[in-house]
Amino acid sequence: MEEFEQELRQALERRPAPPSLKRKLMERRRGRKPQSHAVPWQRLAASLALAAVLGGAMAWEGHLREERRKGEAAREQVLIALRITSQALNRMNQQLAAHGRAQE
Amino acid sequence: MAHDWQPDFEQLVDEHQSMVFSLAWRMTGDRGLAEEIAQDVFMELDKHLSKIETPQHACFWLRRVAMSRSADALRRRRVRGMDLWVEIEERHGMRVEERVSPLGMRLEQLLSTLPEPQRAALVLRYQEEMTPEEIAAVLESPLATVKSHLQRGLKLLRSKANSYLKEYVRIKEQASGV
Repeated sequence: MEEFEQELRQALERRPAPPSLKRKLMERRRGRKPQSHAVPWQRLAASLALAAVLGGAMAWEGHLREERRKGEAAREQVLIALRITSQALNRMNQQLAAHGRAQE
Repeated sequence: MAHDWQPDFEQLVDEHQSMVFSLAWRMTGDRGLAEEIAQDVFMELDKHLSKIETPQHACFWLRRVAMSRSADALRRRRVRGMDLWVEIEERHGMRVEERVSPLGMRLEQLLSTLPEPQRAALVLRYQEEMTPEEIAAVLESPLATVKSHLQRGLKLLRSKANSYLKEYVRIKEQASGV
């Protein structure tokens, strides 16, 4: 078995890589490098855009909340006015009824 | 000190391109595909260069990624071993016979017909002179499994080569006039 293993060891010696391998590799690496420099800028731009979108969404949400609060306040005022009017009308009604009874 | 070592990409390519290319070629049996795999492995190394701590780490990392990428490529391409091997050898006009004996060439061809896990274990054992423990670490397999693949692979390869071996010995004896 040892002789067989020795033969196998010799058969499986490393083969030299094709000369084009390193050249292509260095070309690919050079081609990729500017992108790798661009990545932080792209990340920064993406982060800024995301922050702007989130900020806009939050501002819009705040605006809606303020509008809702104003609407609620206006509604409350209208209800108060209606209550006051209703009370005034009731009072007037009672006075008219009392006046009618006095004439009778 | 290990931390004083700074990885130099070009130097790592010079040192290990033959290893990575040979591993990929022996695993896939396809020279062109092996070159593509070797390129991808080194491009990935370039991305992870800052995490490489020592020359040994670089070597281990390259072996592991080369084997893993070759296995992925095999799964994708479903290369059929020996027939393709011979075809590729002829197409690329490799002169392996200048360096390797006819038996060695035959063994290399027969190796490509073995099941992938056995082939992987044998290539790392006999091309890279790795111990079963080191092979287990590179392939991320249990040690017992690696030992089993080595034994079975060697036995299968030997049985496949047996008839050729007999013929080879007979021709050698005839040539030497025994």
